[in-house]
Amino acid sequence: MDLLYEKCAQRAAGTIFFQRDLQNMQVAETLGELTMLVGQLCAQHLLKLMTFDSEMCWKLRTRSEADKLRRLNPDERLLYHHIDQAQNEGIWSKALRARTNVTQQLLTKCLKSLESKDLVQSVMSVKFPNRKMYLLKDLRPSEDIAGGPWQSEGDFDAALIDTISGVVARYIESETCIKVPGNWNDYTPMDRAQAIAQKKAQVQGVRDIEDSLAVQPYKPPVDPTAVRVVHRNNPQYPTAGTVASWLNAKEILKDKHVRDDDMEQLLEMMVLDGRLEKISGATYRTVLMASDTKTFNGFVDAPCGNCPVFDLCGEGAISARTCVYFGEWLATESEVI
Amino acid sequence: MSYVQRETPILADLCTSLVEDHVGELAARIFSVLARLGRQTLAAIARASYLSARQIRNGLSVLLQHNLVFHSPVGAPLVHYEIDWHYSYALVRQGSIAKFVEERFDKRASNVVANLLSLGPTRIGDLKEAYFPAHDADSDDESDDGTANGSPLKKAKTNGVNGISTKTNGDVNGDSHTDHHATNGATELGAQRKHPADDIPAEHVNGEPVAQDEGVIASEKQLLDIVQLLMREGWLMEADQTQFLSPGDLHAMVQETVIEEEHHGIAPTGTKAKDDMVRSILRRKRKIRDGWLTVPATLSSRKRQAPDSGHDRSTKRLKTNGGNEWSANTSNGASSQRETSPEDDIPIRVNPEKVAVAMRSAQLVHLVEQRLGLVTAQVYQTILWQLERDLPRCFEEWPDPPLPLKPGEEPNVEPPWVDPESLITARDIAKNLDRHLDVCAGLDPHTIVKITGKGHVRGNVLTEPVDPYGLSLDEKTRVVDAHIHLLSEDPFHFVSWHSRAGTISRWRVEFDEISKALIQYEIENTVLARQKGLGVKLIRALKKKGRLDERGACNAMMMSANDIRGTINDLTVQGMIQTQEVPKVDRREAKHSLHLIWYDRQRAREKLLHDTYKGMLRIIQRIAFEREKVQVLISKAERSDVVGNEEKWLSQSDLDELKKWREVQEKLFLQLTREDELVATLRDFIGPLVSA
Ligand code: SF4
Repeated sequence: MDLLYEKCAQRAAGTIFFQRDLQNMQVAETLGELTMLVGQLCAQHLLKLMTFDSEMCWKLRTRSEADKLRRLNPDERLLYHHIDQAQNEGIWSKALRARTNVTQQLLTKCLKSLESKDLVQSVMSVKFPNRKMYLLKDLRPSEDIAGGPWQSEGDFDAALIDTISGVVARYIESETCIKVPGNWNDYTPMDRAQAIAQKKAQVQGVRDIEDSLAVQPYKPPVDPTAVRVVHRNNPQYPTAGTVASWLNAKEILKDKHVRDDDMEQLLEMMVLDGRLEKISGATYRTVLMASDTKTFNGFVDAPCGNCPVFDLCGEGAISARTCVYFGEWLATESEVI
Repeated sequence: MSYVQRETPILADLCTSLVEDHVGELAARIFSVLARLGRQTLAAIARASYLSARQIRNGLSVLLQHNLVFHSPVGAPLVHYEIDWHYSYALVRQGSIAKFVEERFDKRASNVVANLLSLGPTRIGDLKEAYFPAHDADSDDESDDGTANGSPLKKAKTNGVNGISTKTNGDVNGDSHTDHHATNGATELGAQRKHPADDIPAEHVNGEPVAQDEGVIASEKQLLDIVQLLMREGWLMEADQTQFLSPGDLHAMVQETVIEEEHHGIAPTGTKAKDDMVRSILRRKRKIRDGWLTVPATLSSRKRQAPDSGHDRSTKRLKTNGGNEWSANTSNGASSQRETSPEDDIPIRVNPEKVAVAMRSAQLVHLVEQRLGLVTAQVYQTILWQLERDLPRCFEEWPDPPLPLKPGEEPNVEPPWVDPESLITARDIAKNLDRHLDVCAGLDPHTIVKITGKGHVRGNVLTEPVDPYGLSLDEKTRVVDAHIHLLSEDPFHFVSWHSRAGTISRWRVEFDEISKALIQYEIENTVLARQKGLGVKLIRALKKKGRLDERGACNAMMMSANDIRGTINDLTVQGMIQTQEVPKVDRREAKHSLHLIWYDRQRAREKLLHDTYKGMLRIIQRIAFEREKVQVLISKAERSDVVGNEEKWLSQSDLDELKKWREVQEKLFLQLTREDELVATLRDFIGPLVSA
């Protein structure tokens, strides 16, 4: 029996064994003996019986896990069984009670003990925020209850979202924008217009006012290191789909797959954030600001636009005459009362 | 444009302050009575104001002269007076109007406009008189024009430099006009130029320095040219009695006419007939209004080769072919006996709606500059200025209601008819673009290579640099086209593709849509300044998704409820968003209720508009307070013996204090103008919005 267990344990964790796999291990002499051995292992919770396509199959449990399971009381074991069946979808505590017919008290007690034994975990469902879902400890909650790659513990993972949106923003910028150095077009202002005008004047024998006005244009000095970011000519605007496959290919998110929907959620959020803008139905690009000085508008840039006592201000003690904010802003004295 | 002139106490206070600043205290007192009580008769004003009948009459005539109040139709048994809120508020814009006109035309035109603003509606003849008094200088002061226009005319003489300078320049003109004409051509062309260096060649075109100040109107002929041009472009309009009618009176009058003429004097009762009447009324109102803006025949026929064929206008010159006529005119210029001309009797005034169009252009250009860069912004400005000529106002205040649908009929989704004149092509723009603009800047270098076909791009640098001033018109057109594409791809959709004629794309500007986006943009800006990013994010989420509960908001913003609750609260308190509790069970328990948050753009718009009025009022109050503090000093500095000799009479600390006051005043006025820009965006670019 131990031999069979050891042989199975040599395989990668989580492997599923069918009968023929076990037979091929050549531990048992006869099929009957094998069946008996498997039965013993199951009884000790070292193997877990499952079915796949109505064929029996088994999965190995660790010795410590089996140990814990052996120590469960029958109620706990029953609940464990049902939770196990729900797999990573999890099962709602109410549903669990309906299925097992145990009393609420017992249920609570058993679940507590299971949790304390590190066998099951509870997760708040994202779909139904007031439902507590139970699933086995070693399983990752499905997206239905845990809410996609951006959430953990039922809540948005701010740090993760921050990192990934930064990565995505950089990617989209490189796709849709181009960095142009200050000296990109280092022309010598050759006065062609003037040349043409002169020629024209010679031919026509008259001076056209407009042409003669072509004075040497003023060429501002450029700083070759001053890089300007401009929108690309004819870019392939990314969609949620393209960004998702790019991100998945980069494998930045460990063992998480980002579906197109997830990516769309993230990109839409970034649009709300003002980092991306939508071009047509489903394509995005980076928001560029050509000037760095940001002013808001006439109202909020003045003291009153941000004033905490705006609604109280008027004729009385708080007024434009006594206003400290104006005093500060203009560096003048206000009336003291 | 008169929409949401909700006569809130704040707006009333604001306008009263403006009136006081611009036309004096007496008028302001009457104004405040009208503001408080609404439509009033003379007798009622007298009762409410403790002023003598004479004072009231004086005050009212000042208000009327500046179009600040309406009065009921002439011939009505009892005359009622009512405030024109729109025009009263517009007092704050007078400086901007003159500035916009100067940008688009020149100093002379802006001088005419500034004078008309301070004079109120004026007959062309009187305007001529103001600029070119027929009498000698000494008989000037107490002249015989003692009619209603007496005082404003005097005003024009004091602030219009022209009255004096023409006399000195009069004879110089006789022989220098050819030079001068050439110079003008140059200055107008360069009107958009920014580089100071350009001015020099313009002044010296013909080798000889031109003595004449650019801002001086040389002759009556020139004055008329300016007036005509400004009227054609919608900056000036004919003054008319109907303009003194309040919206209610005007409506009543038109309705009466319609009933009289189309319904045989009996008010219609049927649904269909009523609908017809509404349409007729609107049609007639539009006709009356558009009538004001038509250039009177006497004025437009005056010039035989008038360049109003539509194409010449784009070259934007005051006188494209006026050279000959002009010399003929100046020879018998200002000194000769004034002949009365037919246009003298036409009263003109500034079109109060036009400035909003210019403000809209300016703001859009500024926004493009922020988003896409200077050069694209210049391209856009060229587009907008070209369109502006045919836009007397920002939006139609009296549109026809949608036609009632016949049963089973689909709502008409056909795109609205677009005047082909208002379509833009890259070529037109390339031609009219300031030729001193580096058109290639702000674009992807690959675009340039594709257009010129020369060299290629290495490390985002052109291997063969291109002189942007040496481009052929074809190349330039394609470069401009690239800028236009940038404009159209931007989420604001600054331009939209309309149609193709041959291989040439034609574009239009959908002002209404852009104006809505601008309103949203300003609301977001306000929130951004107060709450940083989070508030804006919430507002955008709500705008996109409509009503949301907390969970929905969290999902859209990808944040946890705890992080956004504070923001929701703050924005609700500020009136930017609304919350609502919808009970799910009979007992109203907070626990069992749905808490919804939503954002209504129109509501936020009105709230912000109201707050902005308030902000403006506070600034005006602060200006008054700051002035009060240095009043003694100001009066001293303005004494005639001190002016010009400040150093001698004022101490150093006095001078410093005056300097400080001027800075403070300037800062406050600038801020006031900027708040006014916000008011324009929120109020004047588009009518009320029904937000989803
Ligand atoms: S207290 Fe000052 S800043 Fe606040 S509203 Fe009044 S004037 Fe404006």
